[in-house]
Amino acid sequence: MATVKNWQLKKDMKYPYEENRPNKQIAYIFDTNKCIACQTCTVACKTTWTSGKGEETMFFNNVETKPYGGYPLKWDLNTLKMMGEQSWDKVTGAYKGKTIFDDTKGENVNGWRPAERDYAFPNMGEDECSSNVNKGAFFSGIHDTWMFYLARICNHCTFPGCAAACPRKAIYKRPEDGIVLIDESRCRGYKECVKACPYKKTFFNMVTRTSEKCIGCYPLIEQGEQPRCVQTCIGKIRLQGFLSKPGEAKADNPIDQIVHIKKIALPLYPQYGTEPNVYYIPPIHVPTDFLHQMFGPGVDKAVAAYKNLKNDPDLLAAFLLFGNTPKITHHYKREGDFTVSYNEAGEVLAKVPMTEPVYVRPYDDKDHGTFRHNTP
Amino acid sequence: MKKKIFIAIMMVLSANLMNAQPITIKSEKVASVPLREINNALWTAATEYIVPIFPQNIANPMLAIPSVKNLKVKSINDGTTVGFLLEWTDSTKDIIVDADKFCDQVAIQLPMHPDTLPVFMMGNKKGRVHIIHWKGIWQNDVENGFRDVKDAYPNYWADIYPMAEKQGDGTNGKFAKDISASDYSKGQGNNFMPASYAGNPMSIFDRKEPSEECMAEGYGTLTTQTTQNATAWGVWENNTWKVIITRPIVSPDKDDAPLTAPTKIAFAIWNGHFENISGKKHYAQWTDLIIQK
Ligand code: SF4
Ligand code: SF4
Ligand code: SF4
Repeated sequence: MATVKNWQLKKDMKYPYEENRPNKQIAYIFDTNKCIACQTCTVACKTTWTSGKGEETMFFNNVETKPYGGYPLKWDLNTLKMMGEQSWDKVTGAYKGKTIFDDTKGENVNGWRPAERDYAFPNMGEDECSSNVNKGAFFSGIHDTWMFYLARICNHCTFPGCAAACPRKAIYKRPEDGIVLIDESRCRGYKECVKACPYKKTFFNMVTRTSEKCIGCYPLIEQGEQPRCVQTCIGKIRLQGFLSKPGEAKADNPIDQIVHIKKIALPLYPQYGTEPNVYYIPPIHVPTDFLHQMFGPGVDKAVAAYKNLKNDPDLLAAFLLFGNTPKITHHYKREGDFTVSYNEAGEVLAKVPMTEPVYVRPYDDKDHGTFRHNTP
Repeated sequence: MKKKIFIAIMMVLSANLMNAQPITIKSEKVASVPLREINNALWTAATEYIVPIFPQNIANPMLAIPSVKNLKVKSINDGTTVGFLLEWTDSTKDIIVDADKFCDQVAIQLPMHPDTLPVFMMGNKKGRVHIIHWKGIWQNDVENGFRDVKDAYPNYWADIYPMAEKQGDGTNGKFAKDISASDYSKGQGNNFMPASYAGNPMSIFDRKEPSEECMAEGYGTLTTQTTQNATAWGVWENNTWKVIITRPIVSPDKDDAPLTAPTKIAFAIWNGHFENISGKKHYAQWTDLIIQK
C-alpha cells in the first residue's frame, strides 16, 4: 500500500498504487436543486451505450429519489453499514475515520457485492418523501418532510476503488483526461470491481461475462464535447469540464470556480476515500445531518453560498454555463451583462445573458383580438 | 526489491511444502486416453495420487475460508496424448455465472522451463508457465448450450435490441428477446457487446470445449493462447467433481510446456459456492511429473 494525498479528506491515506494524478481530470457538477428526475440523462446514456444483450438492467447513469431510493438497492446504506460510524474533525474539517482502503484483510478494498435482484428495481423509492405530509401542511407553507433527486454516474475517481481491486490491472485511468475505463479485451469477469466500487458503478454483464462501466463518453470528450447525459439534461443541472489539481485552481475555469474556489459543489460520500469527481450542489431544503453524511462537512457553507448566489456575479456567471453549450468550457469570463464560455483554443462557445430579458405581454391582445391566459 | 523478497518467500514456502509431501505423479502408458468418460476402466485402473491443497494467502485477493483439502490426481498417456483426471469433493455443483453467482473451476500448470523452475503461483517474469483451465460455466455452455438472458429470466421482455439484424417484431412468434446472443454478436449488434467486440475469450457464444489454454508470467498476466489444443470434460456426481484435462505430449505449439523429460505440475481449484474467483482459490504447488514411455 502506498500513501496518497486525498484533498477532499484533507489527509494522507492508504491506496494500493502510488499517487498519479492525470494531466487533466474529468469532473462534473450536478445541481441537485434543479433535477426533476425526468430520466432523460438515463435514457440518453442507455440508448447510446447499454442497450445490448446482457445490459438489460445496467444503468451507467441513474437518477434515484433520496432518502429511500437507490440503484442498485441499498448501494449507499450497505457501504455505510459496512464501514460503521466514522467522524470528521469539527475544527479542521479533516476526515478522522477509515476509508475503504483501510483494514482490508486479504483484499485491496473493502466492499460488498450486490445480488442479481438488487439491480431489478432502478426506481425503488421514487418520489417518496422522508415522511407523511400531515394533513393541512401542504396548504400552510413549508413543511418538514423532504425528498430530492440524486443523479448518479461513475465518479471517475482519482483513487478508483474499481481499479485498486482488479487483480488483472484491467481497469485504468487515462492520463489525458482521468477517465476510468475497463479494458474489455482483458477483463475476465472476476467482479472484484463490482464489489469494490463504493458507488456500485461497475456492472457485470451476464452475456459477455465481463464487467462494464460508464466510459465518460470519451469519444465525445476527445472532440471537445460534453457527455451524452450532460448534453441532454432537461433541467440543465449538469456541467462537465476539467478540475485542476488541488492548489492549482484557476478562477476562470468554471469547475475550479465552483468546486475549489467557492466550494459550493461537494463530492458524494467523500469518506469512502476514492476522491470522486462528480461534485454535487447539496439540496438546500434537506436536513443538514443527512447532508453531512452524504457530502461531508462542507455542506453548511455550500448551502449558504448557494442561497447567496445572486450576490456573487462571478459564481453566478459560472452557473449560467450549465446546459448552454454542448461543448466543454475550459475558461469563462463575465463580460458586461454576459457570461462567455471559451474552449481550450480560446474560441467562444456560448454567450449567455446574466439576466434574462422579461417581456410582459398584455392580457388583452388587441392586435389579435383575443385574451391571453394560462391554459393548463 | 519487493519482488525478490516475494520470490524468496515463495521458494521457502515451496521447499517446506515439498519436504512435507514428496509425490511424483507418474503418467502410466495405456492404449488410449478417454477424453470424456470419467468412469472408463482405463481411468479406474490408474494410480491415484493425493495432492494436498492450500488456500491462496500470498497475494491479494486472498482466499479467507478454504473449502477443499486435497485433490486426487490420476494420469495416463498413450504416447501422443496425456490426460489428467482430477477429483475433489464439492457438495454443490456450481456451473452458472451471474452478478452474484460463481462457478467451480480447476486448472493445471506446467513450467515452460522445468530446469529454471518459476514460482508455483502463476510463474514470474521470464519464468513462464502454461496453464490449462477448466471452468464449470464453460462445461455448461458445451453441455447445455449458452445460458442466454431468456434462459435465466424466462419471463423477461426487451422491446428492441438495437442493430440486431432481424429485429424481432413478433413475426412467427419471435420477439427481440428471442434473438440469441450468438446471432446478435454476428451482426452490428456486436457494437453493443463490448467484450465480444474486443475479441475477449470470455465472450464466446458457441463454445466447443470447456478448457482454456493460457500462459502467465506472474499475477495478473494470464493470457489466452492463440492455439487451443487441450481438451477438458467435467462431471459432477456423488458430491464430487471429476474433471479430465488432456493435451498432446509433444505439441507443435511453441507456447505449450515440454513434457518428454521429467517436469513439474501444479494445480488450482475454485469453489463457486463460496464465491471463489481470481486469486481467491486453492492451490497445490509444484509436484514432480513423469510421463512414462
Ligand atoms: S436529465 Fe437532468 S433533470 Fe432530468 S433526471 Fe437527468 S439530471 Fe435530472
Ligand atoms: S465511481 Fe466506482 S467505477 Fe467509477 S472510478 Fe470510482 S470506484 Fe471506479
Ligand atoms: S458520461 Fe456517458 S457513459 Fe457516463 S453516464 Fe454519462 S452518458 Fe453514460
